[in-house]
Amino acid sequence: MDDRYSRQILFSPIGKSGQDKLGSKHVLMIGAGALGSGNGEVLTRAGVGKLTIVDRDYVEASNLQRQQLYTEEDVRAKLPKAIAAEKRLRAINSRIEIVPIVGDASPDILEELVADVDLILDATDNFETRMAINDISQKYKIPWIYGACVGSFGMSFTIIPGKTPCLNCLLKRIPIQGMTCDTGGIIGPAVQMVIAHQSAEVLKILVEDWEAVRDSFASFDLWRNQYTSMKMGKAKDPGCLSCGDLREYPYLDKENLSRSIVLCGRDTVQIRPPRQSELNLADLADQLVRLGYVVKANPYLLSVEMEEQRVVLFKDGRGLVHGTKDMSQARSIYQRLLG
Amino acid sequence: MNKVMFFAHLRDAVGEESVSVDLTGKTVAESKVILSEQYGVNLDSVMAAVNEEFAGDEDVLSDGDVVAFIPPVSGG
Repeated sequence: MDDRYSRQILFSPIGKSGQDKLGSKHVLMIGAGALGSGNGEVLTRAGVGKLTIVDRDYVEASNLQRQQLYTEEDVRAKLPKAIAAEKRLRAINSRIEIVPIVGDASPDILEELVADVDLILDATDNFETRMAINDISQKYKIPWIYGACVGSFGMSFTIIPGKTPCLNCLLKRIPIQGMTCDTGGIIGPAVQMVIAHQSAEVLKILVEDWEAVRDSFASFDLWRNQYTSMKMGKAKDPGCLSCGDLREYPYLDKENLSRSIVLCGRDTVQIRPPRQSELNLADLADQLVRLGYVVKANPYLLSVEMEEQRVVLFKDGRGLVHGTKDMSQARSIYQRLLG
Repeated sequence: MNKVMFFAHLRDAVGEESVSVDLTGKTVAESKVILSEQYGVNLDSVMAAVNEEFAGDEDVLSDGDVVAFIPPVSGG
């Protein structure tokens, strides 16, 4: 196994010293869906020192078409994605440290996690989390790499605090989301193209080849054969509230954190608990069964079957209410179960 | 005249990859309003590039500038 990284070391911009650097670095990856699967695999095979994976979801059949780490067995077991990803990545490379976290990448959790992190990799599916990542990146001066895709379209941009514009400079506010992810579907090659852009940037940054880092905003449509590279020098906004002179990191403010959100393209609402808490899943399962609910459980979550909806409750107190997009209905179902 | 290009779902909404419109002298923000009305697309929080360079709302277009509208997407 000693030559496992030999082909990467032969690549001169990395070399032996680059490989040693890779092996000493810690990447925080937010999301373990399509982008997280592919990026996680590239970094694990490349021999990054430590990979922390945060994901709030579990594996479902509709993921298998593009989320390359997961299997039908993971679907049957309803494994949380962070756990299923860890299992597969450990089998690929037992030498690196992998830390799975089943939970929401809320500003609180991000603040706890970034202590020794060298880079944050965006593999999320929503702008609320990305804006929080963006503020954390600026506050702690940690580079992060935005990547996203829908249909056959994808994009990526590398954000380096103090050097490049940040996501808040570009967007000014959280964009309206439903129009892109709910309706557009997604094909595997678009995912792979974004992964290639993001993971190449990760390697450059981890081996500290700063000159090689892409400073343009890349976007492409693999079906329509379009590729654009937008120069970003003029995008930096001195008045930006995330990276400007009078910065206040607006997306780390807990007041702005929504208690419930409709998940991208899923006919599902996520409910966050009113305060950070840990559920005793075994006790809760017993209680719900006594009340007549049909409950399936694994060590990480409970799935409660109801007539119209299915509710999945996680240890960290979150609930995913499937079968509705109505937030108030979802909240009342969640409260019915948790009393 | 200006060539205006649309990406992702905007292209589907407009029905064409690019259109020719005279936006000379208009700002990016004004152009967004004109194009939204003409083609029925929502260009709020869509990024604009002029000649492959990021452009702010107040940037003014010149004759011959190529404008691209790139919607930030969220899937992942």
